[in-house]
Amino acid sequence: MGFSSNWDGTLSPNDFNISARALCEKWKVTYPVFPPWAWVPCPRPFGVTSRQVEGYLSLEGFCCPKSIEGEIDNGSSSKEEATCPTEEEAVDDATLVQRNDRELHLYDLHIVRSSSYRVPALYFRGYNCDGQPLALDDIKKDLPYHSSKILKDSRWTFMTQEEHPYLNRPWYALHPCGTSDWMKLLFDNEASVTENEEIVQQYLLSWLSVVGQVVGLRTPLEVFSKKHNAMFCSSV
Amino acid sequence: MAEKKKVKLQFVLFDSLVDEGFWHRLSSLKLDTLGIDQSPINITGFYAPCSHALNSNHMTLLAESLPPELGEQSSLEAPIVCGNRNRCPVPGVLYNTNTLESFRALDKQTLLNSEANKIWEDIRSGRAVEDSSLLSRFLLISFADLKKWSFNYRFAFPALKLDPPATLIDLRPASVYFNLEEAESLSAACNEWRNSSLTADVPFFLVSITESLATIRPLRDWEACQGDHTKILFGFYDPCHLPNYPGWPLRNLLALICSRWKLEKVHFLCYRERYGWADMKLSLVGEALVSVSQGWSDAQSIPNAVGWEQNSRCITLASSMDPTRLAISAADLNLKLMRWRALPSLNLNVVSSIKCLLLGAGTLGCQVARMLMAWGVRKITLVDSGRVAMSNPLRQSLYTFDDCLNGGEMKSKAAVKSLKQIFPAVEAEGVVMAIPMPGHPVLTQEEDGVLQDCRLLQDLIASHDAIFLLTDTRESRWLPSLFCANTNKITITAALGFDSYVVMRHGAGPLCSPPVGNESPDALSVSLDDLSTVDRGRLGCYFCNDVVAPIDSTSNRTLDQQCTVTRPGLAPIASSLAVELLMGVLHHPDGIHAPGEIATSCSGSSEQPLGILPHQIRGSLSQFSQMTLLGHASSSCTACCSTVVSEYRKRGMDFVLQAINHPTYLEDLTGLTELMKSASAFELSLDNVTDDDEDDAFI
Ligand SMILES: [Zn+2]
Repeated sequence: MGFSSNWDGTLSPNDFNISARALCEKWKVTYPVFPPWAWVPCPRPFGVTSRQVEGYLSLEGFCCPKSIEGEIDNGSSSKEEATCPTEEEAVDDATLVQRNDRELHLYDLHIVRSSSYRVPALYFRGYNCDGQPLALDDIKKDLPYHSSKILKDSRWTFMTQEEHPYLNRPWYALHPCGTSDWMKLLFDNEASVTENEEIVQQYLLSWLSVVGQVVGLRTPLEVFSKKHNAMFCSSV
Repeated sequence: MAEKKKVKLQFVLFDSLVDEGFWHRLSSLKLDTLGIDQSPINITGFYAPCSHALNSNHMTLLAESLPPELGEQSSLEAPIVCGNRNRCPVPGVLYNTNTLESFRALDKQTLLNSEANKIWEDIRSGRAVEDSSLLSRFLLISFADLKKWSFNYRFAFPALKLDPPATLIDLRPASVYFNLEEAESLSAACNEWRNSSLTADVPFFLVSITESLATIRPLRDWEACQGDHTKILFGFYDPCHLPNYPGWPLRNLLALICSRWKLEKVHFLCYRERYGWADMKLSLVGEALVSVSQGWSDAQSIPNAVGWEQNSRCITLASSMDPTRLAISAADLNLKLMRWRALPSLNLNVVSSIKCLLLGAGTLGCQVARMLMAWGVRKITLVDSGRVAMSNPLRQSLYTFDDCLNGGEMKSKAAVKSLKQIFPAVEAEGVVMAIPMPGHPVLTQEEDGVLQDCRLLQDLIASHDAIFLLTDTRESRWLPSLFCANTNKITITAALGFDSYVVMRHGAGPLCSPPVGNESPDALSVSLDDLSTVDRGRLGCYFCNDVVAPIDSTSNRTLDQQCTVTRPGLAPIASSLAVELLMGVLHHPDGIHAPGEIATSCSGSSEQPLGILPHQIRGSLSQFSQMTLLGHASSSCTACCSTVVSEYRKRGMDFVLQAINHPTYLEDLTGLTELMKSASAFELSLDNVTDDDEDDAFI
């Protein structure tokens, strides 16, 4: 294996694991404000044996930037059933009675290696603070303006609902079929990164600094930020 | 709080969050294991210290909060890993009821008391001192409506009520309460406690501070850490983020302190974090006065308990659990991918809203229906008068052996059932009807029934956008061809020989005005009387090619599958082509008026994203060959020429009945009889089609 000039922009399972570890480490140092990425090991499907440890990266409970700003949103589909407090329970004055909590949207992000496209794929879901999943339209409202524009204009990715490969429940995903192309482009133009090991180390970081923007995770890594922005403008 | 005045100490109830995964697993537990058993289930909740200045940490239920599903024990999925700093386990119990009524009727106070009693027992026995995770408990009542994928639920976090209540003397951020040295030492000690897998999920602890040096110890060390110069605080992981109030776990801790150590003044630490580290600005230190409740010394007495969440809640997971919705989004995904990757101009709305009428539900009808669904067509009506016979399922892909039993189901009904099994969101309808045929005279007493069928067919064609002619006789295609020509509907015909097929789209109707700017000025100026000459530009229909009127194909067989002996691969090929042809028409700017194109050797010759749009495709399996052909409408066509359509408009069903009853009527009307006399030697059969057949080959 080697990354020559005809490297196709994909990652082997082993390189994915290495790159994932590098992302976790760098993330902790660079973005202490965000929840950390954690590696979730997964058992192989029954009957498949491999020395390879399979798993995915997970960042959970990430508060949507918009909802942190405290915007009022009544789009919740979960209903509260009012009950008369006096009927069964004496009022307890040691319990602080709070006004209804403001809307809070939480996001879970998973980075899973797609074995058919041999590239990382971003799976995500959003939910209210009581666990009610957000519909795609609600999620789109949470996204910063520029990311909905990216999704609409670009030909490098689009949002789908797909079965999470490990959880077997439907999650939203950014479809990975264009990924290898633009990843190759990204590294082809990066004169300073030519060593194979370096590409593996950098791969997920660079990848995330692009796709993360789509889901409102604005973390342009210094090294790449300029070029990535250029990519959005020209929509590869 | 400059002056220390006594106020009642108030606590903030836990926030709860139930992960989707919990409901998923509860649903399968209920379906596979529990059935209607309503016994309480022990579950585990998770919480952690608050780690965000604006949001409290939630008591969270995850899939792993429930016992593992059957057959899952053997898998490597970790049960509950101890020592996870972000998942301190809290014991709980779930009461899942079978009906909404019983959910509402649960005696909440009794349930709460029984859980509170467990806490009380653990305090009295000392178990809670040894294992402080027993100080917090919760209960969850729920009603899982598995038909609607909705879940009603309500949480309670039982707290023992102090009587008299605790009063607050002082509460301030730890960074203010402690001097810098103490605060730093405490932070370090907390971080060490939180980062050791032995203590990370132990939510209650002691803080002892001697000469600005902080140490953290388990509750059981209470006696051991008494000393003259030691300040002792009772610490707990505080899920609450509010700067002026402690969180709920403190309540039972105070009850433990009162009943066990009989203190009157308690210093407590509400431990909170930021970015995964102890944060002394968010953490609070408080000073409270408590007194031992009267009667607590009495072994029999049980303190009052509170802790129900204010409201019951309802969560709907149809979008991730309803299999029909999942099937729809999976189907959409395929088409969107196709549009995104290859065909940006693909109009999925047009495809999903078009209404297709399939006349015939045999080998061709079954396969066309499947291909339509694959393209995202959702509205399909199938017409057939037959029943499923034993010989059908092998070739007619919508039927199975079961459909043949007991005389066989009606094909159109069985096909609809099958389509819905394949894709529940399809809007399919089946109509049992025989299509009236010309040259098959009917008795007078049958006339009403036949006319009724004619009108039904007329209505069906009028109410659909695209009509597929897939019956197994030529003459049964005549009436629909006429109706389609009259109403200008997209019409697609597929017919099979033994090893050859023809698939074609009919041209626009003769009496409809062509799109402006698409025809020569001459054509536009032609008057109705002169219409026979206009047909030059119009594409032909299935009957335009014929020199024989559609009368009785049993005696005068041409290319139809009257014998029904065809190579099995033929029907799927022809059906697929028929559907692809429809997609081409739908995506062509001129639609039904699109001129017929001929395949050329150079690829990419078409301006349309789907490629060229031929008029006819003929293929032969014996040569594995296929060609595109163009045939214009014939002015003496028995189905689509202006004479026939005008006559039908004038006389309506009388005309139809005459065609049915008089074998030569159509030929006489269109002059075919004359034509045949002059070309008696001419005989057309599909099997004779050769490479010489090109433009206008069939006139
Ligand atoms: Zn015709």
